[in-house]
Amino acid sequence: MKDMLKIVLSLVAIFIVAGMIMGVTYKYTAPVRFAAEKKEKEEALKEMAPEATDPIKQAGDWTANSKPYEYFEATSGGKPVAHIASTAGKGYSSYIKMLVSISPDLKIRDVKILGHEETPGLGDQVEDKSFLDQFKGKTLAQIVLVKGETKENIQAVSGATYSSRGVTKGVKDAVQLLIDKYGAGIQTAAQEVAK
Amino acid sequence: MSNGVSTWGLFKNGIFGENPVFRLALSLCPAVAVTSGVKNGFLMGVAVLFVMTMTNVTVSLLRNFISPKVRLPSYVFITATWVTVIDQVMAAYQRAVYKEMGLYIMLIVAFAIILSRAEMFASKNTLWPSFVDGVGMGLGFLFALCLLGVFREFLGKGSLWGYTILPSKPLLIMIMPTGGFFAMGLMMGWLNWMDRKFFGGTGASSGGH
Repeated sequence: MKDMLKIVLSLVAIFIVAGMIMGVTYKYTAPVRFAAEKKEKEEALKEMAPEATDPIKQAGDWTANSKPYEYFEATSGGKPVAHIASTAGKGYSSYIKMLVSISPDLKIRDVKILGHEETPGLGDQVEDKSFLDQFKGKTLAQIVLVKGETKENIQAVSGATYSSRGVTKGVKDAVQLLIDKYGAGIQTAAQEVAK
Repeated sequence: MSNGVSTWGLFKNGIFGENPVFRLALSLCPAVAVTSGVKNGFLMGVAVLFVMTMTNVTVSLLRNFISPKVRLPSYVFITATWVTVIDQVMAAYQRAVYKEMGLYIMLIVAFAIILSRAEMFASKNTLWPSFVDGVGMGLGFLFALCLLGVFREFLGKGSLWGYTILPSKPLLIMIMPTGGFFAMGLMMGWLNWMDRKFFGGTGASSGGH
């Protein structure tokens, strides 16, 4: 009985002290961390539409994979230059967070990966420019993941098929959303051009 | 264990005599998982070096306080505390490094090598030898990861530290987990051969997981 009490006390004491150490660390590092994350987010948004002169405004909220995300509008002198959505796609071992921007003519401008927990060395290759640049200038219908060489569609990174699929799915959802929100006025015009 | 062994001997022990990966054969799963590139291996090694040293020091200081019957939960909790502290501090002040390393840091809690050093060494030794053992073992792990990383990245991707060196990928399988085991086996065999041939050692690896 006495032995048991000793065991419990020794464990509890360690847990309390360790908890306090972690708590104090959190107290001092969390504000710095959140400020840095907020700043990074703003900078990432700015990168998606560098020519926008007005501050990028949040235009609304939406859900993907039952998690909340936002979409934004970048304007220059009141005229829209880009629509941006934050989203995530399910990769191999995590949700790959990203920003997707489309131009007013509903073509993809840019895709930027914000964070993920994919396999280092394999899945994280979807961050490579060579993969992401494939999305630039594509329309919604062209966003199809294929294995092997392609110019029309998106080529999966070899060894990272699941992660590639996650990114592609995320981009597709985001573009679909932005077209639903902003495409009504110009969709017909874009289809005319496509013909 | 530390009686009569010099500081330098202890330090060297972690890097060569009882190298965590090549000799003790511990923490092989992370060693295979992260060494598809030199950079990943190096960053992981640095994180382990930190946690290893801190855990050894803490366990050594508390060795008379920790009840022997619950020593394992205590060790794991101490490791988890230091891992969390490092994770939070890096997330706040070293954003660029954290983006590269954030994936791995939390994994360190479950590393066999850290638990085994706490159990085998730090719980039986005073502060200074435990500190030296932690640094030595950490550097040994770092060394092993870098060696594996160079071998695998060069053959698998034709690059080093992310910089392309060869125009082709000579052996793509090397960056896959399968190739990791091949590379590790070859390295272990090579080091044992060297040991036997030039240093007169027995060249034996003890089993682990």
